[in-house]
Amino acid sequence: MEADDLALVARARAGEPEAFRALIVRYQRKVYAVALGIVLDRDLAWDVAQEAFVRVHQHLAEFKGDSSFSTWILKIASHLAIDALRKERTSTKEELEEVRPADLAQGGEGLLATSLGSDPEHNLIRRELSSRMGEALAALPEKHRTILVLRELEGLSYEELAARLGIRRGTVMSRLFHARKKMQALLRDLRDAARSREGAEVKEGSS
Amino acid sequence: MSRCLAFAPFIGARPGELTALEEEALREHLATCGSCQARLADEKATSGLIEGALLAAASERDFTNFSDEVLARIPAYARRRGRGGFFAFARRHRLALATSALGSALVALGLLVYLSARAPEPPALVEVDTEGQSPIVLETSDGPVVLLGDEGHEGS
Repeated sequence: MEADDLALVARARAGEPEAFRALIVRYQRKVYAVALGIVLDRDLAWDVAQEAFVRVHQHLAEFKGDSSFSTWILKIASHLAIDALRKERTSTKEELEEVRPADLAQGGEGLLATSLGSDPEHNLIRRELSSRMGEALAALPEKHRTILVLRELEGLSYEELAARLGIRRGTVMSRLFHARKKMQALLRDLRDAARSREGAEVKEGSS
Repeated sequence: MSRCLAFAPFIGARPGELTALEEEALREHLATCGSCQARLADEKATSGLIEGALLAAASERDFTNFSDEVLARIPAYARRRGRGGFFAFARRHRLALATSALGSALVALGLLVYLSARAPEPPALVEVDTEGQSPIVLETSDGPVVLLGDEGHEGS
């Protein structure tokens, strides 16, 4: 049976490198995924993920186990990723956070649900979209990408997002709304492209 | 539409994230608003796509050296690695080290057998007892030849 995180933390704190290695191996992919979702650069995400583990090691003595180890390491990783982006950011253009009537008028809501279905394993379009999600994430403004990654990968609640990002709960909800809306619009475009390709393949196959 | 402005941001909230009042108001709105029902359906359909895609991207990377690189960045471990680095490495890579040691031994053995098969035989050594006489040594093309005095001749 695998040692639990707390036991590994205790052993790592006592100076056992192999215990800390076990923690790294357990969470390295998730930490890298969070960093990648925010910085969108494989090498920078790799560096951020490694630095997150280094920072965790520096503060092992302070870890009391009030929250889970995974919550802790992912929090540090997302902080570092956001910091890394800030260092590289050249544009500080802010967008409106409020929801306006035009935001509701745009888009074909419900169409994604119809074409994506609910079975992730057996839906070709869903798999196609998943494989091109990097493009969709790259097309999102940084603050929308960040809040989606924190929400979906870290699983942060509205309150936690508000605290992490230093914004009000209402702003969290409206920012998530805008982020999802943009993401769904991008996914619709990708879905249409995937459908066109599927249609062309079916035609080729039948002719 | 005007009511959708207020309720659209509530869509996607997890259980317990909205106040009881907000939840109740959203439920009532969804019951009568087709647009927001469609928004909710889209939200459910796309939920998990980002996580799945990013974890898939992470799975495509080779993490073989990741933990070694992290430990090398931690001063306490880096120092220890400097002292007992080979032993730590040997513990982690026992099989690889044993295989390479066995391979090296087999190559060395093969080389030894090959060289000994090719080496010219050394000339046979003959011990010559001169019994106190001074031997005469002739240098010939076949090597040195020792001439011993005749016993009969000596005794006469």
